[in-house]
Amino acid sequence: MADTILSVRDLSTRFFTEEGQGNAVESVSFDVEDGEIFGIVGESGSGKSVTALSVIDLIESPGRVTQGEIWYRNADLAEEFRGSKPEAVDGDLVDIRRLPKGVRRSLRGPSFSMVFQDPMSSFNPSITVGEQIAEAVEVQRRARSNPRSTRSRTQGYGLGSLLVDSLLPSKSYVDDESMDRAVELLDQVGIPDPEDRADEYPHQFSGGMLQRAMIAQALAGEPDILIADEPTTALDVTIQAQILNLLRDLQEQEGMSILMITHDLGVIARMCDRVGVMYAGEVVERGPLADIFENPVHPYTQGLLGSIPDVDDPSGRLEPISGNVPSLLDSEMPDACYFADRCPKAMTDCLTRIPEYELDGRHSVRCVLAEQEYDPADAVESAEAADAKDREVSADD
Amino acid sequence: MTEPLLAVRDLQKYYFEQDSFVDSLLGRDPTSVKAVDGISFAVERGETLGLVGESGCGKSTTGETLLRLREATGGAVTFDGTNVFEMDDDELKAFRRDAQIVFQDPFSSLDPRMTVGDIVAEPLKIHGIPETTDGESKREWRRDKVADLLERVGLSANHLDRYPHEFSGGQRQRVGIARALALEPDFIVLDEPVSALDVSVQAQVLNLLDDLQAEFGLTYLFIAHDLSVVRHICDRVAVMYLGNVVELGPTDELFESPKHPYTKALLESVPRPSTAEHGRRVEALSGDVPSPRNPPSGCRFRTRCPQVIPPDDLDIEQATYRAVMDLRDALAVGDVNPDHIWDAADPDRTDTEAFIKEARDRHVDAELRGEVAGVIDTALGHLAEGETDRASETLRERFESPCETHRPAVGDASHPAACHLYEGSDEVTVIETNAGATAEADD
Ligand SMILES: Nc1ncnc2c1ncn2[C@@H]1O[C@H](COP(=O)(O)OP(=O)(O)O)[C@@H](O)[C@H]1O
Ligand code: SF4
Ligand code: SF4
Ligand SMILES: [Mg+2]
Repeated sequence: MADTILSVRDLSTRFFTEEGQGNAVESVSFDVEDGEIFGIVGESGSGKSVTALSVIDLIESPGRVTQGEIWYRNADLAEEFRGSKPEAVDGDLVDIRRLPKGVRRSLRGPSFSMVFQDPMSSFNPSITVGEQIAEAVEVQRRARSNPRSTRSRTQGYGLGSLLVDSLLPSKSYVDDESMDRAVELLDQVGIPDPEDRADEYPHQFSGGMLQRAMIAQALAGEPDILIADEPTTALDVTIQAQILNLLRDLQEQEGMSILMITHDLGVIARMCDRVGVMYAGEVVERGPLADIFENPVHPYTQGLLGSIPDVDDPSGRLEPISGNVPSLLDSEMPDACYFADRCPKAMTDCLTRIPEYELDGRHSVRCVLAEQEYDPADAVESAEAADAKDREVSADD
Repeated sequence: MTEPLLAVRDLQKYYFEQDSFVDSLLGRDPTSVKAVDGISFAVERGETLGLVGESGCGKSTTGETLLRLREATGGAVTFDGTNVFEMDDDELKAFRRDAQIVFQDPFSSLDPRMTVGDIVAEPLKIHGIPETTDGESKREWRRDKVADLLERVGLSANHLDRYPHEFSGGQRQRVGIARALALEPDFIVLDEPVSALDVSVQAQVLNLLDDLQAEFGLTYLFIAHDLSVVRHICDRVAVMYLGNVVELGPTDELFESPKHPYTKALLESVPRPSTAEHGRRVEALSGDVPSPRNPPSGCRFRTRCPQVIPPDDLDIEQATYRAVMDLRDALAVGDVNPDHIWDAADPDRTDTEAFIKEARDRHVDAELRGEVAGVIDTALGHLAEGETDRASETLRERFESPCETHRPAVGDASHPAACHLYEGSDEVTVIETNAGATAEADD
């Protein structure tokens, strides 16, 4: 078995908003192995993006990571902190949540890098694409010598913030060497005539080309782990095919690992070795691709698979999950399985918080069906569920 | 055969945009975006016809233009035997009742200040329905009707007084469907009705649409980019590319034996949610869809087509020919910059051999041999001299494809494909010739 490069344990992230406390990520655990593509799949609002942002330490107020460990394999860091922070070191692994802020920030780029769904809002519209990539190259280079001077004009992009624009110097911020490297990166991601395209602005790029450019930018630091959050969702299917091919090629060339986030089970199937299924902030099922697709245990995983029409087989009626995706407000989260109000197999035993059960070494599930058969005699229609049925819509009537 | 409910003939919709104020001062022609450029299809009573294609190919424009929500640039649409574009006021009013549309975005298509009850009742009010009632007020009659409609689409009558923001995406889409049903239409254009929804909710709405069709005998034009959804819900499918219909046929036939190279590429690209998909490497189409402002001559798919047809008298492998055509396209759109090639090959700009080698490395993705290599090298030699037009012309003379000089359109067969590969059958008709400057390719 390959070594683990990233091991997330019991990670929780909360948003403290006017509406109340939102439990966007709830005690999430998963591992990413060396050179693999690990997928996180789930519907909108299930906590996929927040999980990714928590790993890369980009959660902003009113959000906060409230618990958990993020173990990252890095022998140099382990060596550096073995003496001063023994609790943050375990062999070659370091718990990056316990490292000083500055050190943690310096991991963005050479350790973790991220590609977002919407390339247009991830680039600064008033700086050429080449400069922005060159800047990433430069930031990496400086970070290597002095981890604290890593402020850039593109900081905040991809998170939709345009604020930094006005604060930062303009032009000739990047030197020729970085620019050459940027052109090389653009070439590597398949942008034709990269020397000229480097001088163009984001709006002069098509969606697919800009997504390639964002990948080039993410590669600038030669990351160990590339986090790709819905990298093809905004793209047409023929362009999606190009980008997926590109990601796989790069993964093989660079030997990096990819954490792939998507709502599309087809993308998961094509790309990922192992998968975590998220629902209402939790990873409800996790395992190798074949286990998840062929022997799903969690009724939500089954429901998700039953909801998608098959492009190769038109027969049969879809079997949707009834009801709607829940809100994640702490005050509304039941002391029960979060899926109970939609679950066709909910039983009395489900009306308590459900732990993660290991089915075998690689396949785990947060559902009582891991340990017992469904027994109709124990079926519940919880108050929650009845309430929800009244409020919401039940699908097949 | 009975007459189709809706027939579209040579429909065109161009959007005109004056590039800038200066352009209009100088009296320059406005540029046109050829969003829909001469498409024909029919929708039979009771069927679901799918209109599928990638973003910007003209699907929504087609739906809105055939409903006369936008003014057509050319062509005709007949609904129930009457030409929609020539209807008088009474006819149009009846058409507005019989033909409805549901939009993609359940968030922006409902007025946030109106209650759900008022939203669904609005079309009734506009059309003065009911004309008479016995006993109850018209308002009450409408309220009852709306309550029925809401229940029919899977919402509950006590949702009447709520506002759209209180609903989830799937529920809002149900409200949109209830509104479309209010006037008891025969025909509904469903414009990406489930694209914004999560899969579990999408499945609910697809089942609902199925049920409503069976119950009310509805005819649907179902616009979508998701091929799996189209396969599931449509009886027949029309595939669009850059303002044209490129293939049209019964759903199973089209998915199992696609004819047009674009349809094949689309189907090949879809990621399948099964373990057999793992690691599948798709032969992805190269490049982007060209701009509808300046679409390619002849077949619009020729800049990406893996089967683009070489001239009869040229002996060339298909992949090599594609690579040559890519070079020609790159020259045409300005993606080949001789300065960069010189910089890499020989900064002194004397070694033409080195230039040609570098240019081939960069821009020709195939091994070249014999005559083909000769012509390419001659052209690249011109490029080295800075004579880009001459390079392009040299290539065109030898490599010009019938796919760029003649435009194919779908023929009258039951499963036609707009592609020269099917020439000689009734699957394709050649509707336009636009031969290059010198070669008069009309035949
Ligand atoms: N900045 C924020 N403020 C408040 N809530 C947020 C913020 N960002 C995300 N959330 C909430 O966190 C939950 C999970 O969101 P997200 O991770 O984006 O889901 P996904 O990526 O699976 O669609 C959602 O309920 C979302 O509304
Ligand atoms: S724990 Fe119970 S309610 Fe939850 S998914 Fe499993 S069977 Fe359904
Ligand atoms: S006409 Fe030519 S370019 Fe167009 S699809 Fe057919 S083979 Fe391809
Ligand atoms: Mg997301």
